[in-house]
Amino acid sequence: MTPPMNGKVNADLDLTMSRIIKAPRAAVWQAWSDPARFAQWWLPAPYKCRVVEMTLSPGGAFVTEMSEDGRTFTPHLNACFLAVDEGARIVFTNLMSGGWRPTENTYPAALTATITLRDHGKDTEYAAHVMHKNGADRTIHEELGFHDGWGTVAAQLARLVE
Amino acid sequence: MILSLMDQYQQRLDGIFQALADPTRRAVLGRLGRGPASIMELAQPFDMALPSFMKHIRFLEDSGWIRTRKDGRVRTCTLEKKTFTAANAWLAQQRAVWEGRADRLEHFVARGVKKETAR
Repeated sequence: MTPPMNGKVNADLDLTMSRIIKAPRAAVWQAWSDPARFAQWWLPAPYKCRVVEMTLSPGGAFVTEMSEDGRTFTPHLNACFLAVDEGARIVFTNLMSGGWRPTENTYPAALTATITLRDHGKDTEYAAHVMHKNGADRTIHEELGFHDGWGTVAAQLARLVE
Repeated sequence: MILSLMDQYQQRLDGIFQALADPTRRAVLGRLGRGPASIMELAQPFDMALPSFMKHIRFLEDSGWIRTRKDGRVRTCTLEKKTFTAANAWLAQQRAVWEGRADRLEHFVARGVKKETAR
């Protein structure tokens, strides 16, 4: 099932990243969709990740916890899947929890993320598009004299204020 | 303890971005980007009563975008460099998080593929 439209990229608020992973698409999908596998790579060491719920269907809960000592776990992600195309695409948001229930706590940022897997020969093109709501519209950058999005802000800033 | 620090950081970021959500405040920042200016000078292009304009100045000051200093009867505003860096660092930090996840996924999957071929 494909939704009527895919999220368009807003260069000021969104992250896009993609890379080729040297493994078949099925293997990458399994690493993402199997909670036991997912927990092994989602958080950086020394943090331990525990998947509380991962129901891979629209409206399904996506809840993870983290622990520094491996014993005491604290909430990490409380999100909801919006779209799941087996083997190809996962869309989730932390603006809602399981069952599309609106949430308040969206630390560190309110986001909707689309993960896309495509065949790349025998390997997999892995892409993430993460949309954020923080900040205002493009005109901010134009008025401040930043035209190329956040990526170049630092360099322009240095010139502006130093 | 750490969480409360994170909350504070998030609140600060909210203020930073909220300050940018208004055209008057963005124009003021744009002007200050060319150098410090007095309140009178900043207010001049706007068809706005001074008390209303001062509210914008205070918002920018409270959210950390500008510093103001009073010399006699003149209050001068200066852009706060650190805040630009914080606004920029936020997205850079999110990028680092997602790149890190892709790194670990890649390593995790590569280990699995190696095991499969060894069998």
